[in-house]
Amino acid sequence: MLFNKKASLIGAVLAVTIGILVIHVNFVIFQGLFDAIVRDLTDYRFGNIQVTDEEDYIDKSDISLINWFERIPYVEAATPRLSTTASINITKNGERIEETRVPVVGVDPLRDIRASTVHKTVDEGQFVYSRNSIVLGSNVARDLGGAQVGDNVKLKIVDRYGQDQLKRFIVTGIARSPGGQGFDYSVIMHIDTLRDLMDRDGYTSSIMVKLNDPTKAIEVKEFFLRSFPNEDFIAETIEEAAEQQLAGFRSGIAMINMIGYFGMMSSAFAVVTIQMMLVNSKTREIGVMRAIGAKRKDILIIFLFQGLIIGTIGASVGTVAGLGYTIYAQETKMSWNNSLPLEVTIQWDKILQTALTAFSLAVIASLYPSYRATKLLPVEAMRTV
Amino acid sequence: MTKIYGEGDTQVRALQDVSFSVSKGEFLLVIGASGSGKSTLLNMIGLLDRPTNGNVIIDGINTSTLSDNQISSFRNRKLGFIFQSANLLSDLTVLENVTLPRQIMGNNGTAISDAKKLLTTVGLEPQMYKRANKISGGQAQRAAIARGLANSPSIVLADEPTGNLDSVTAETVVQLMKSMSRKLGQTFIVVTHDHRQFGDVDRVITTKDGRAFEGKESSKIEVTA
Repeated sequence: MLFNKKASLIGAVLAVTIGILVIHVNFVIFQGLFDAIVRDLTDYRFGNIQVTDEEDYIDKSDISLINWFERIPYVEAATPRLSTTASINITKNGERIEETRVPVVGVDPLRDIRASTVHKTVDEGQFVYSRNSIVLGSNVARDLGGAQVGDNVKLKIVDRYGQDQLKRFIVTGIARSPGGQGFDYSVIMHIDTLRDLMDRDGYTSSIMVKLNDPTKAIEVKEFFLRSFPNEDFIAETIEEAAEQQLAGFRSGIAMINMIGYFGMMSSAFAVVTIQMMLVNSKTREIGVMRAIGAKRKDILIIFLFQGLIIGTIGASVGTVAGLGYTIYAQETKMSWNNSLPLEVTIQWDKILQTALTAFSLAVIASLYPSYRATKLLPVEAMRTV
Repeated sequence: MTKIYGEGDTQVRALQDVSFSVSKGEFLLVIGASGSGKSTLLNMIGLLDRPTNGNVIIDGINTSTLSDNQISSFRNRKLGFIFQSANLLSDLTVLENVTLPRQIMGNNGTAISDAKKLLTTVGLEPQMYKRANKISGGQAQRAAIARGLANSPSIVLADEPTGNLDSVTAETVVQLMKSMSRKLGQTFIVVTHDHRQFGDVDRVITTKDGRAFEGKESSKIEVTA
């Protein structure tokens, strides 16, 4: 490099590097958090596709729908779910504790463990394997005065005719999901028991469909809707089904990304400042070069080339550092708040896009200083000490 | 030619109706007191600045008709510069400084070997790979002479080339320029405030108050068209 100012150039390269690194760190943490939430919502609640009915309940046989789905090669498993709310009470040490409006989820235990990982969140006791067993979410258990496996609880559910239905259950498990996207605030019971209590034999709230290739979700969903044109089914991908839960995160991530790109803009301003400092500190040399025959274009090329070097090294080092951080996050199974494992992925298109943006900004940031350098008059430039 | 700086009340006539010609191979001294216009005159001849009125004609080419790019190329091919403070690029080696005019010209073929020959001629062979900021003032000025000659220019313009040197080093530099002039047959136009260092030269022009006179001040004859 003709105008060698190592400290300034290292500063400019660092500015670009840090700009990229900030975006990578943001991506790992916040996109990782978003993807982790999507992953958990998929695994615990919605599947890759969730089928519901415009009329609250699906009255078509859940077995026939599940069999229909499981014939599609992209589908790994499907399972029915039934939802309602209940009042739940427990007597502990002679004291009756009651919680109202507790969400209740009815599952088919044999099918559910194939389509969902919610059974893996049961960290005390076991999942629902009999019709009079119940799994309490960890927060429900806490609110019930620390209900434990083996305790008896009484549920009151209002059936389809408005009548209260009461039933005793034995707590067989406590569910606690890392990150809290599971059924920590709900209770889980056998779907047939819940159907009986609600007097909705054969009814289902939703069918949760798990795909072995999640990228085929839209294809499968549309095929399903085409296959049942006369039913009032609603089929949604995870993004559609969980839109309410994800909307806030989405805008948060957009804001974080924007802050990242503002950071990159700041790096570009740092490059402008450093390049201007270089032009100012090398005014005399520019004058000498012009005097011995360098054209304005030659001076422009020198500073633009410098910008290219800054952009190339900065983007490369920043990308390598960012990738290093991403791989570190993957290998150490980095988690959010020590509970929710982040879903860290290496997305080459985004990495390339970030590197190219940083590189372009560094080159664009060099344009004005380069232009200023070409405008120096040799006689005046050489007078500069 | 005339060169006026500023406007209105702040107008300064740095050069006024100066006209003279220089023959090929001449060693010309431009002498005069500080502020007499000798450096301005050199800047005009060196195409580093444009006259307010008049023309600079070199090798039959009226340089006032040339564009900025053409002037840069012209300076590169036809003119060599030796500045008072050498003005080497401090981040480059002595050799790189001397090859620079040829690199700018785009004629790199024998640039390095030619630059080495020039540096040997000016006695800087041992210093050629040193950074320009690591050599003495006298060595830097000799390197500047080598750089001024690197493109085999028609005219070498030197602005106070001994101004920053002690008397012994200044004498070495003067002798070097004179010997190079004789050896290479190039025209030298040297601005100095102390003509005695140069001894006998082909011609002397004296500047005073923006005007130029033939000869030393004691026997001045105004040179105008």
